[in-house]
Formats: sequence, C-alpha cells, structure tokens
Amino acid sequence: MSRMRNLIAAVALLLPLGAYAQTYPAKPVHLVVPYAPGGSTDLAARVLAAKLTDMWGQQVVVDNRPGGNGFIGMVAGAKAAPDGYTLTLATVGEAAISEALFDNTPYNMARDFVPVSMVADADLVLVAAKESPFNSVQDVLDGAKKQPGRLSVATPGAGTISQILLEWMSLNSGTKFQHIPYKGGGPGAAAVAGNNVPLGILSASGVTSYVKSGHVRVLAVFGTKRSSLDQSWPTLIESGVKDVTGSTWAALFAPKGTPPAIVEKINKDVVTALKSDDLIARYAGAGSLAVSSTPDELAARMKRESDSYRSIIKAANIRSD
Amino acid sequence: MDTLSHLAFGLGVALTWQNLAYCFAGCLLGTMVGVLPGVGPVTTVAMLLPFTFGLGPAPALIMLAGIYYGAQYGGSTTAILVNIPGESSSVVTTIDGYQMARNGQAGPALGIAAIGSFIAGCFATLVIAYFAPPLAEIALNFGPADYFSLMILGLVASVVLARGSLIKAIAMVCFGILLGLVGTDVNSGAIRFGFGRPELTDGIGFVALAMAFFGITDVLLNLEQNQNQDVFAARIGRILPSVAEFRQCMPTIGRSTVLGSILGILPGGGALLASFAAYMLEKKIAKPPCSFGSGDIRGVAAPESANNAGAQTSFIPMLTLGVPSNPTMAMMIGALMIQGITPGPGVMNERPDLFWGLIASMWVGNLMLLVLNLPLVGLWIRLLSIPYRMMFPAIFVFCCIGAYSVNSEVFDIYTVAALSGVGYILLKLDCEPAPMVLGFVLGPMLEENLRRTMMISFGDASVFVTRPISAACLVATVLVLVAMVLPTLRQKRDEVMVE
Repeated sequence: MSRMRNLIAAVALLLPLGAYAQTYPAKPVHLVVPYAPGGSTDLAARVLAAKLTDMWGQQVVVDNRPGGNGFIGMVAGAKAAPDGYTLTLATVGEAAISEALFDNTPYNMARDFVPVSMVADADLVLVAAKESPFNSVQDVLDGAKKQPGRLSVATPGAGTISQILLEWMSLNSGTKFQHIPYKGGGPGAAAVAGNNVPLGILSASGVTSYVKSGHVRVLAVFGTKRSSLDQSWPTLIESGVKDVTGSTWAALFAPKGTPPAIVEKINKDVVTALKSDDLIARYAGAGSLAVSSTPDELAARMKRESDSYRSIIKAANIRSD
Repeated sequence: MDTLSHLAFGLGVALTWQNLAYCFAGCLLGTMVGVLPGVGPVTTVAMLLPFTFGLGPAPALIMLAGIYYGAQYGGSTTAILVNIPGESSSVVTTIDGYQMARNGQAGPALGIAAIGSFIAGCFATLVIAYFAPPLAEIALNFGPADYFSLMILGLVASVVLARGSLIKAIAMVCFGILLGLVGTDVNSGAIRFGFGRPELTDGIGFVALAMAFFGITDVLLNLEQNQNQDVFAARIGRILPSVAEFRQCMPTIGRSTVLGSILGILPGGGALLASFAAYMLEKKIAKPPCSFGSGDIRGVAAPESANNAGAQTSFIPMLTLGVPSNPTMAMMIGALMIQGITPGPGVMNERPDLFWGLIASMWVGNLMLLVLNLPLVGLWIRLLSIPYRMMFPAIFVFCCIGAYSVNSEVFDIYTVAALSGVGYILLKLDCEPAPMVLGFVLGPMLEENLRRTMMISFGDASVFVTRPISAACLVATVLVLVAMVLPTLRQKRDEVMVE
C-alpha cells in the first residue's frame, strides 16, 4: 500500500516535471554574474544572454551582483529557487579557488550547485616588458635564480588565478618572485607595457594590443596546448616548467536541486548557442574561446583544478588575510 | 595625413545621418540619466549593450560616449539645484553651485556650467586630436611612484576646498582616507573594517557616500532652519549669465580647461582631480571681489569646465591603453571588445574611422548638449519653485533609489542612513564634506601606489625623488604647504607685534 502510494507520488511528481522541461522557459530567466558590469565575465554573460533570449523567446536578464570576492553573487545564485530560472555564471576564481583560499567561503560548489556547461575559456600568458632583458622563460628562470625574490611580476590581483600560477611556477622551478598585484588586468598590462614592472601574468586578450605595438613580448602561454591567438607562443610546459597550466574560464551553474530534465534542456540550448558563429565571433573579439561541455565534463574539470590549486595555495602559503 | 585632414575625415564619419542620430540619442539619454539620480550612466550603458551588438563599432561607441558625457552635463544640474553630486567629479560643483541656487542664481549657475562645459569639450577634443599618440606614451610611463606623489599633492592641496578652519579640513581629509580604506586590501587581499559584512568587502560605495553627505544631510539642515525654505522658491531670477559674469568667467574657463585636459589623461580619478584642482587654482588667484564658497560663479565655471575637459581627454587612456578611468568607461571598453576591437596603442592606425569618428562626434555631441541644455535651464529652475515640503521627500526617495541601484543592494541604503547621521554631526561641527570626499577617493589610491612603489623598489624610498614626475609633484606639494602656512605665521607674528 505504502509502496503503491510512493509510486503514485513519484509519478505525480515526475509528470509535471517532464511537462515543465518542455515548456521551459515560461518566464524570464535571471543570469547572476558575481562581477560588476563591464568586465570579461559580464561580457561573456551578456553575449550569451542575448543569444538565449533569441532562442527561447524569453528575456534572459543579466543580474550583476558584485562584491565580497564574488561571495554576494554566488550566495544569491546558490540560494535561488532550483527551478532553472536563476542561473549563475561563475569563473575559475569562484568555482575552483575561493574555497581553498578563504576560510569563510559562504558557499560550497559541490553542495550548492549543479554544473550545466563550460562557457568561455581565455588564455593566460607570461609577458615581459620590451625594455627587460628577458626573451624566454629560461631567461626569466635564470634571472630569478640569480636574485631570488627580486624579480617583480604583475598580476590582475591578489588571490587570482594569475597569482596561483605564479606561485606554481616558483614551486616547480625552485625560484622565487616578487608578486605585484594590480587592480584588474588593464592596469596590470599597462604596468608591464610602461616598464614599471618587468614581467606579468595576464590574460592574452588584455596584452595583444601591446604585443602588436611592441611594448611587451609574450614568453609563454599557460595552456595545455598553444594558444589559438598565436601559434608561435610556446607553452610553459614546453619551456621546461613541468605541470604548470591554467586559464581563465567561466561556466554556467544552476542551484542544487534543479530538476535534471531542466539542466539537460539548458545544457542542450547553451551548447547550441555556444556553437553559433556570431557568438563565437563575439567571444573571439573579447579574447576568449566559446567552449561548451557536458555537465559531467565541467564537474571533472572543476574537481581536477580545485584539487591542484588547493595544494598550491597550501604549499605556497597564499593567504587572504 | 595631418591632424586637420584626420578631423575632416572624422567629421565625415560623424556627420552621416545614422551616426548623428546615435550621437543625439546618446546625448539625450545621458542628460536624462544624469539628471535623474536613480539611474546612472553605468546602468544605462549596461542595458544598451546588447543593442549595440547589431551596430557597427563607430555608431555604438558614438552613442555610448554620448551617454557618458551627456551624464556629466546632467549631473551638474542636480549638483547645483539640490546639492546631490551624481558623480565624484561634480562634488566640487556643489560647493558654489548650490550656494548660487540658494541665492536665487540657479539660472546663471546652470548656464555657465553648460557654456563652460561646451568650451572645455571643444578644446579637449582638439587636444585629443593633436596629442593623443604622445600623451598615451606619457600616461603609460606614469609609474606608481608618480601616482603617489600626485595624490599627495592632491590631498595636501584639498584643504583649500574648505571654507573654515585648516585643522578641521585636514581632519576631514584624514577621515575620508579612513572611510576609503574600508574593504579589500589590493596587496594582500585582506578585508579591513569589514565587520564580517560581505557588502563591505568592496568598500563603501561612492554614490551612497555622496547621497548621504550632500543630499540627505542638506535636507536635514534645511528642515531645521525652516524659516528659510521658501526664500529659495521666491527668487528664481535670470536664466542666463550676464555679459559681465561671462567676461569674468572666461579666463577661469580657459585655465580650468587646460588643467582638466592635462589631468584627464591620467588613468583613474582624472576628472575628479581636475575639477577640484581647477577650483583650488581659481580660489587662490581670484581677484576680488571673490566669494568662493558662498556662491561665486567662477566656483561653478572652474570645476565644470575642468571635469568636462577631463572627461573628454580620459578617452585617451581608454582608447590607447585600454585603462578605464571609471565604470562607464569600462563598459565602453567591453562594447568595443565585443565588436572585435581591443583598445590599445594600435587602435588609431587600425581603426581610423572609429578613432577620428568618435573625436568628431564629441564635437557634434557637445554642440547638441549645449542646444539641449540651455533651453532646459528654464525648466530646471522652475523645479525650485516646488514647495520644499514636497521637494525633500522626493530628494530622500531619489537618494535611496540612487544608492540602491548601483549594486541592487539594500545594504547600501543602510549605508546612506548611517553616513547621513555622521554627516549631520560633522556639519553641525562646521566640518566641510568636500575635502573628505577627496580623501575618500584618493586615499586608497595613495596607499595602493605607495605600497606598490615600495614593493617594486624593494623598500628603497629614493625613487620618489629620483623619478622626475614624482619629484616635481613633491616639490609642488612643499610649495603649496609653504604658501598655506606662511600667511598664518605672518598673522601670528603680527598679533604678537600688536601685543
């Protein structure tokens, strides 16, 4: 009897859900971005939102919730009703670094979110100022070995993926650098271009104009393979620093408890959107690759990266206080 | 091609019907959001961004730029009429602009703001056209030590903004710096004075601070002295500045424009530094009769010309370095990148239509704004005839909407409430808010650049005097200090002699 009732209850629950996934989205969808308008994550979100609005015939509204190292936006995304009408676009920082970096991260990616799809991926590069004596990664490592801790490297900020890659590079090559955090990639790139700091770990898209003008040289890219922006840049691994890879990515998440049918539907449409020519072109303009994935692929990547970043944060003793 | 033919080419781009229409739409929208304290240019640009995907880069940027400098025009209107600076650069305008409005001279104040902005805008456009390439190189070479020394100069000089005592002004600058330090430390990522509130990790919002210290505290003071309320409404006076006033302002507008154009080139905070530096300069060199602080028309002309010039020339670091000087500029960089254009040193040669088209459109846009704003002055000052008992609740509501809409965060409204209380007490103690705002904005930049300098130089402080730009700023600081202290000393000595 009780088994029967459970079965009926289960069927009753599933029926509207199936129908629900078919009619989704029946009202405007909110896309939470834990950054202020204007940055690269916000741009990726706006381009994607415009495309999904066209596909769905429903407004997809970008909801900027900046502040608190991304905590405010992530908590808003985690606490939203798990009905598919609030999605969150998180970057490598919120999804794979914050929990290891901060003692008080108010969300837990595994507990609070389900992965939907990768969205964008952008290369990070090691650059040197035109006036600096460095022409290769080897030059940099030699220089750092000669004067440990006396070579300055600009990054877009403390606790960013760039700082973690810098520490990882130091650990794996047995050197030390002076970390100079800036407030964002633009000022960081200008600092290297103006030779205020000889080296930098910055996004490739932020430095390409300075590369073209000859103000900076790209010494290596932190990818597993060479960059689509310029095939002549060697990877850091090719240059002899083993294992060190990383990039700036953004991915789409839904609150935990979102019905799998809805997640599947969103994944399917987001993948279609990310494969459309106009979106690929706009992302390329902003210096990133439109990358899609299955939810499982995203979960695996997140797990792999957060594990290695956690061990680097621990080994290098990067602290947020 | 020389600059003139470049400009002619740019005018060819800007004067197509399509681009004219987008320029006008941008200016109109900008003026509206500038006047309405609830919505800022950032929100407007963010909302319009998807719309620009379908446009070419030139019309998109022309429209977004129109919103940006249109909002600068509109922002001065609220600063003068109701003492609410919409952006940090119009804080200085509130000092004399609002006093003029209270004296029944809102019309001339708004008029000279529009005319001064127009002249400054035209001049700054020429500066960009002629000097953008070498200036970009100078801005690039501006290192952290140079920024630090410039900020020191700015902060030391800011005490001139205050009407009353020197000590109080210095205390207010320090208080502003302390408020500015709330939030995440750039160098370590540590959170300071956060009290466990995630909303405070990015610091206190400028809009919330401005609404509290200027908008709400002023309403409180007005309500207290209720006998004065309708003096305001009774005397509307002339709409346009007289010929004599205009002649009096011309040299001020000229000097402020040059100063604003120079400071606007520096990435970050340029327009604010410009507006207050111009005010300070005019206050120092003004020939009597001068009534700076209690409604001098030159006290409006100076910051308005300077901030508009600075707003225009800040397109130089934005286009050629990709370094935004404020969030609106950051949005514009985003719009360009989506179009496949990365701002950078090469943008002038790669996309001449975009660069020169934008410059020429600024000219056209400034003219449109003048034509749009001068007739509106009559309408705006009629707002002042609304009885105060109906005005003040509206000001309250707009302050709250304005603070809320920045981050869609209720916490920011609480911030306004708390800071209004602090602001009221400070005003009762005769402490001026303007130097505090400067400390608030410049203090964190000062600290950031000091620590960055010391990290890059590994603790060697001599860089501050060996770098020429930095050394020049420090020398100027010493001169300002001497100029400030000398009269006081002489006065003291005279007093002693008399005794």
